[in-house]
Amino acid sequence: MPDKADDMRLIDRIASGDADALGELYDRYGRVAFGVLYRMLPGPEAAEEVAQDAFHSVWRQARSYRPERGSVRTWLLAICRNAAIDWRRTRGKRLEREVTIEAAAELLSDARVDERVVSAMRAERVRKMVGELPKEQRDVLALAFWGGYSQSEIAARTDTPLGTVKSRVRLAMNKLRESLEDER
Amino acid sequence: MSQERHPIEGLPAYALGALDKEERAVIAAHIETCDTCAADLAQFEDALYEAAAIGAIDVEPPADLRRRIVLRHRGAAARTATGWGGRVPEFLRRPVPAAIPIALALLLIVAFGVIGATRQQADAYAHALAGVADGRVVALAPTGANPDARAAVVIPTQGSPYLIVRLPAPPAGKAWEAWVLKQGASGPVAVPAGTADRGDVFMLSLTAPLGAGDGVAITLEPASGSAQPTTQPVLAIEKT
Repeated sequence: MPDKADDMRLIDRIASGDADALGELYDRYGRVAFGVLYRMLPGPEAAEEVAQDAFHSVWRQARSYRPERGSVRTWLLAICRNAAIDWRRTRGKRLEREVTIEAAAELLSDARVDERVVSAMRAERVRKMVGELPKEQRDVLALAFWGGYSQSEIAARTDTPLGTVKSRVRLAMNKLRESLEDER
Repeated sequence: MSQERHPIEGLPAYALGALDKEERAVIAAHIETCDTCAADLAQFEDALYEAAAIGAIDVEPPADLRRRIVLRHRGAAARTATGWGGRVPEFLRRPVPAAIPIALALLLIVAFGVIGATRQQADAYAHALAGVADGRVVALAPTGANPDARAAVVIPTQGSPYLIVRLPAPPAGKAWEAWVLKQGASGPVAVPAGTADRGDVFMLSLTAPLGAGDGVAITLEPASGSAQPTTQPVLAIEKT
């Protein structure tokens, strides 16, 4: 897995207008970015379209990237996820391809690892933590992350009190964070 | 650091993107001024996107996706290209309006010939588009040198695709030529698809087959037509 300094150098090059650096960023994280989009969108064509938009956003926003706010991979994946949610809210809605509760809820537990883009030890810790989460907590994470649903929407769709959903989100996210705590 | 109360309770949901708009705006504003909460948020996101990387589908992206991403941003190199093959990709990187679905219009009114004023031309073009009874309409993007040019590919449910075009009359001895852009190994390959020696608003049938994902472009060529484009496109779209 590339180190943070290498990633930062790439972002600097992208910010200075080096398109080849964007290609190198794609070499590092394009596969996992595409995999995230593929999971969130109705088909490979949409994933491809949104991937191009996401890398264009990276190109435009590279100057504003702040390393203290998270790794380059996290930043890129967040851009991809937001772009996918935007796509679904516009074109996706028209296509009536919303993520169903059932489909979204199984996404985090049905995990596969691309070892080229995740550190095996980190991945194992996170995977273990996700596996240990109570199903209700895992479900709200998956619905929010992959489905793009807000807490209010999850509460309405699952007929669960909003306070309960919020509590599950907090507990699940705190446990997720704890899984990487010894790195800090 | 912000003097406001730290929104500790809301940070996990913020990281997850699960807050409603108003709550999200409050926390976003706080984070901009609070390094403590920003650092907390980074930790939540770091763990969350580690999980996302695990949960992502391990699938091979399209083979040419990287090339297209890089080409789209390699401005300097593309501008120095001398052949049409170099200019087309540069042109095609411009933002292109999304496909416009047209479904409800009942009348097929395609305006031909000289209409006169620009406003009338615009109206005629709009009427022509609105008159498409069914099928898909995909707009082509104009170049900066021809900002008033308009064209759209109409892909009817039945029948052959055609263009509705709004362009000035070509100079004497010249014609507008349409091209279907097929994806070749080293970039788009232009296939001649019909010419028109008129201007204003007109219809142009595509004489070359238009496959799924093919592009379309229009250039100014000798009136007899060209086997290959000899000028930069005035309108184009990368994919229909």
